[in-house]
Amino acid sequence: MGDRKSNKPEYHRADERRFLDERGSSGPLAPNGLNPATILEKAVRERIVDSYFYKEQCFGVNEADIVDRVVEHVDHIGGVTGTVQKPTPFLCLAFKLLQLAPNDEILEEYLQFGGEKFKYLRALAVFYIRLTRQDKDVYLKLEPFLEDRRKLRRKGRNGVSLTYVDEFVDDLLVKDRVCATSLWKMRRRDVLEDLELLEPRVSPLGSLEDLLEERDEEMKDGEGGGMGGVRVGV
Amino acid sequence: MSNKGSAYGQAAGDTDFRKKYDLDEYAAKAAAREAAEKEERKARWEAKMAGKKYYKPMDGTETLTTARNATQDFSKMVGTTSLVPAGAGVGKRGRGAGFYCEACDLTFKDNLQWLEHTNSMQHQRNVGATGQVKKATAEEVHARIEALWQRQQELKREQVITLQERLEVRKEEEEKEREEKRRKRKEAEEKKRLEKEAALKAKTDYGEDVRIEGEHDEDDMMAAMGFTGFGTTTKK
Repeated sequence: MGDRKSNKPEYHRADERRFLDERGSSGPLAPNGLNPATILEKAVRERIVDSYFYKEQCFGVNEADIVDRVVEHVDHIGGVTGTVQKPTPFLCLAFKLLQLAPNDEILEEYLQFGGEKFKYLRALAVFYIRLTRQDKDVYLKLEPFLEDRRKLRRKGRNGVSLTYVDEFVDDLLVKDRVCATSLWKMRRRDVLEDLELLEPRVSPLGSLEDLLEERDEEMKDGEGGGMGGVRVGV
Repeated sequence: MSNKGSAYGQAAGDTDFRKKYDLDEYAAKAAAREAAEKEERKARWEAKMAGKKYYKPMDGTETLTTARNATQDFSKMVGTTSLVPAGAGVGKRGRGAGFYCEACDLTFKDNLQWLEHTNSMQHQRNVGATGQVKKATAEEVHARIEALWQRQQELKREQVITLQERLEVRKEEEEKEREEKRRKRKEAEEKKRLEKEAALKAKTDYGEDVRIEGEHDEDDMMAAMGFTGFGTTTKK
């Protein structure tokens, strides 16, 4: 059955068995060189495959059905919940996405067209991109959503909390553990800028130097120049 | 069978009523079956040698596997009764107490087992599915998002409509209640009026002789106490 998949790439397997069996030996790797079957941690992965939601709702799902599932079932982001550490539908669908490995076009649909309408779809796509794409692309694709201020519900092991899409994206860029997943270590943004892989980012608030100058001038006008204690929020 | 003759030297003439079998036809059938069995045996053996699980080869009529479009509601079955053949309840084979799979002729004791079974390759093959799912293109994803968004908007609109309708219904109900109260009040008034009229009529018919219950009590009492009135001349 394995060669059928490689001969006819227009089909997915309905279940995850092959995906987990391959363990990166013959299956395709993610664009960042990781094996998609091992990106999530083993314990979490096993909980996902065991969970009722995954068995019922993630069987025979393709890229379009993922949208269905997100709209129907995802009303919070998060990793595992409760004392039994049940995986959230969000994480189950992220795992399914790792199996489906949607291309950039489809991800763009999830992010832009779908993301405008369904915020959890955008959250899912953003999470998936952080897991599988190269660091340069991650910065380029995720940074525009630092201006998305819609609310998200985050469910963790100790209850539900409020967060926002921009906060979530920022966590993905900055933190090393989000949604019960250790994110792979990306190069820092300034390193990529030094390598001239990325242009320096212009914050929607304006550039830092301009802000500092403005503040200095204001202070010179007001107090006659006190340099200490300048606070600029970027 | 080489000697076709009878044991008694002459052929029996009274056995023509027996069915005549076309021996060649049955021989051909048997050969075909044996060939098929041999082929399957070989395929099974090859699969075993290759360390794979044997599945019946597909004949091209299979359909692609599709995702479920609804969650199965097992709670609906709570409190229902079903008849089960005697001797059921041992093993999974056949129809028994639990969730029965028509295609595979198996019975499962709980919904998790049932679900795992429906996800299994064995079941997929038995219902004529390939276990493969069609990849979606970006256009299909776009169309799906659009459709879902339209559906959601429609649902929202419907909800607004039903809210208005509910308000209208409530208004109508209040109106009805008020109407009912008014009707009761009018009825009571009418009843009183009719009683009064009946009393007046009785008076005109029989003059002052007729005594209506309670009407002359006051007069009687006053008469008994020795006066006729409090100085007013108007009769009640």
